[in-house]
Amino acid sequence: MNEDLIIFFSVLATAGRVLGLVLLSIVTGWLLSYGAIKGKIFENIFISISEVFESVPVISFFPVVLILFITRIGGSLGVELAADFLVFTAVVWNIWIAEYQAFKTIPREMVEVGENYRLGFFSILRNIYIPFSIPRIVANLFPSISDGFFYITVSEVFTIGITTYQTFGIGTEMQALISAGNTNGILLAFVFLALVIMIIIYFLRTFSKHAVAKYTVDTDTPVIRRGRFSFKNTTRRISATAATPFTRLSKYYRRRNPSMKNEMFEPERAGVNYSRYILATIGLVILAIILYSSTLLVLSVSAGEWSNLLALTPQIIIGLLYDYSRVAVVIAVTFVISITLGYYLAVNSRAESVGVPLIQVLTAFPAPVYFPFVYIAFYPDFHSVFGPLTSEFFVIALAFISTFYYLFYSFWMGVKAMPSEYQELMKNLNMGFFSKMRRVIIPSTFPYLIAGISSTINSTWGGLMIGEYWPSIYGSRTLEVSNGLMRFIDINTRSGNLGAAAWASFVFGIVVVVFSIFFTRRMMDLARKRYVAEEGVFAA
Amino acid sequence: MRNPANLVGGVGPGQPISLLESVNIHFSYENGYKVFENINISVGQDKFVGIVGPSGIGKSTLLRIMGGFLAPDSGATYLMGKKITKPTPKVVFVHQSIITFPWMTALENVMLSPRSMKVPQSEAEIVAMKALEDVGLQGFEELYPKEMSGGMRQRVAIARALAANPMVLLMDEPFSHLDELTAEGLRQDIYNILFRVDTPLKGVVLVSHNLTEVLELADEIYILNNIPATVVGKLVVDIPRPRSIRNPKFSEYLDILYTKLSPPGGKKNE
Repeated sequence: MNEDLIIFFSVLATAGRVLGLVLLSIVTGWLLSYGAIKGKIFENIFISISEVFESVPVISFFPVVLILFITRIGGSLGVELAADFLVFTAVVWNIWIAEYQAFKTIPREMVEVGENYRLGFFSILRNIYIPFSIPRIVANLFPSISDGFFYITVSEVFTIGITTYQTFGIGTEMQALISAGNTNGILLAFVFLALVIMIIIYFLRTFSKHAVAKYTVDTDTPVIRRGRFSFKNTTRRISATAATPFTRLSKYYRRRNPSMKNEMFEPERAGVNYSRYILATIGLVILAIILYSSTLLVLSVSAGEWSNLLALTPQIIIGLLYDYSRVAVVIAVTFVISITLGYYLAVNSRAESVGVPLIQVLTAFPAPVYFPFVYIAFYPDFHSVFGPLTSEFFVIALAFISTFYYLFYSFWMGVKAMPSEYQELMKNLNMGFFSKMRRVIIPSTFPYLIAGISSTINSTWGGLMIGEYWPSIYGSRTLEVSNGLMRFIDINTRSGNLGAAAWASFVFGIVVVVFSIFFTRRMMDLARKRYVAEEGVFAA
Repeated sequence: MRNPANLVGGVGPGQPISLLESVNIHFSYENGYKVFENINISVGQDKFVGIVGPSGIGKSTLLRIMGGFLAPDSGATYLMGKKITKPTPKVVFVHQSIITFPWMTALENVMLSPRSMKVPQSEAEIVAMKALEDVGLQGFEELYPKEMSGGMRQRVAIARALAANPMVLLMDEPFSHLDELTAEGLRQDIYNILFRVDTPLKGVVLVSHNLTEVLELADEIYILNNIPATVVGKLVVDIPRPRSIRNPKFSEYLDILYTKLSPPGGKKNE
């Protein structure tokens, strides 16, 4: 087949893979979320698993994926499923959580209408729950699609030991083009990929506007009334189209207790509620499968292997410390850029109309695809500045590029969602930039900042995973750092030592979950308790 | 029905310099909808001015134009003869939704105004304490907004406005989110609070669709009607304070306002 066509179809295959998996996430999320609101046991299992996996960076799944799909299933199907699973785990969690939160916070009156008319399962889902969840799904699609594309280079082609596994897509194609030194092909791949991403973003933006206009209820997005100052409405509209509206969600979450019975209404019919038991059983079966697989895995490892793995733990911890230092640098740089550029775009509508779509396209464009060219073009310049730390610089730069949009979007969204009265008050009091930031903007965007920082930390690992050990980044050049947990996992995966890689991932997963429990959740609780800007606006 | 001599049919420019004056204001929304046509409003020294109009006529928008938050298509607003081009702490806006910052105590909320004007911390605290005392919130300084009733929160918002030492206060339906008893209590206090001799405040503009409220408080009332909105009348309220709705003159004024606020029969907005 003509090479141009192969490149074109490989772009379509990758885009189809990402979009298909996003769609799969959405559909499964509806079913699981509905199950969660109907059965307490199922809900507890579903939410606990989702929250843990959401906070564990997607890349730490990789060795597990390889073990499962390559060694157990094998063949081209195994490789395809491994790639799909990796992309799926990149996009699925925030979509599931968003759907669950939407289902959980649906106004009681709407549910009661459905109950009143005795709507069946599909009818109530199609007419009430699914439409209500659309704005929150849309809000999470931009980062999810960016994340999905980000992993195409590592998910479509990977090496274990001496074997390279690959599946059809632009990630694999790009690797082949680079190896062959086919400059025209590379350029063409960039053009096709850029076009497809731009088209996806365009449709997503158009659909966002439609979704907000059609599916938001007026408590989310006030209807524009004649003769009213429109800025407030505009900002709320935009806020509903961007990232996760944590503030509003948490408010709904605490307000409503779906398990609470309302005695004014028809008492529950006598008899056994079978669906609850079925859901509880499904939840318990999922839990049992996970426990069973884990036990099998632990038992299958010999005592000698366990002692080898335990001996590696100090090295893993040191690598983790190195990586957390890199994460800290990325967060600091991202924070400064987000609160300056994000604020500028949020309050300048003209700059925003160009800047935000541009950033959305750029961030959806997978950094690992173009980074080798940036690396090779600028290496001499940066080497003269950073000397022995040049590789460190490039790894942090890759992590930054791959992740900055989370915090940027969150902050931008937080500023957009700020009550317009706050903006007016700041103008009225002639507040300076730092005073505004310190007293009003950072506190009122605090829940968004914490959510953004948490996501940024999680996805920084993806950039580090790719960058810390990148053999043949361009020709015979290898990008690598001297120490780091991601490098450790990379090298052990490539050398076929999957046990060590999986153990490092496990230790890493535990640290991340502990970090999430002791830092992120506490910060989020603080944000929910104290920094909910909407609570400062009293409108009876 | 008697038509009091103090009902003025229209207001024109060219009068002596007012405290705050909006002259020949024309304004349209981005979609081309024409909101105002040739609006002229003048706020004299020590005057409490009310603006009334049917719901959706653009009263809040007009207040934002007067405060420099929105730029009119043509016309301008002047503070002591000086054109207002952007919001200024000399003209402070009190929102319809009661605005406080949930992460700040009542005292910190009020201190925001003096701190924004680079007043040192200790001095700002004194100013804020005084403002809270003025609005009757002495002893509640350390409460967070969430721990306060709607009426108390609105007092915090007013104290914050007063702590900026403004010359003019623009109030956009400040009692609309309060229950009637609380609103009535606050209305009774508000005039005395605002025009205490020791404040630099020289004028208040109150926008409301509650005619009783406006009659209770205002010295002069501008009546907006028609599409696009114009000033269809100005009422000078000549009832001694404290005003009672049982005063027969109160009912007469109310009748006039109702008459003037009959459904708009103005031009069609193209």
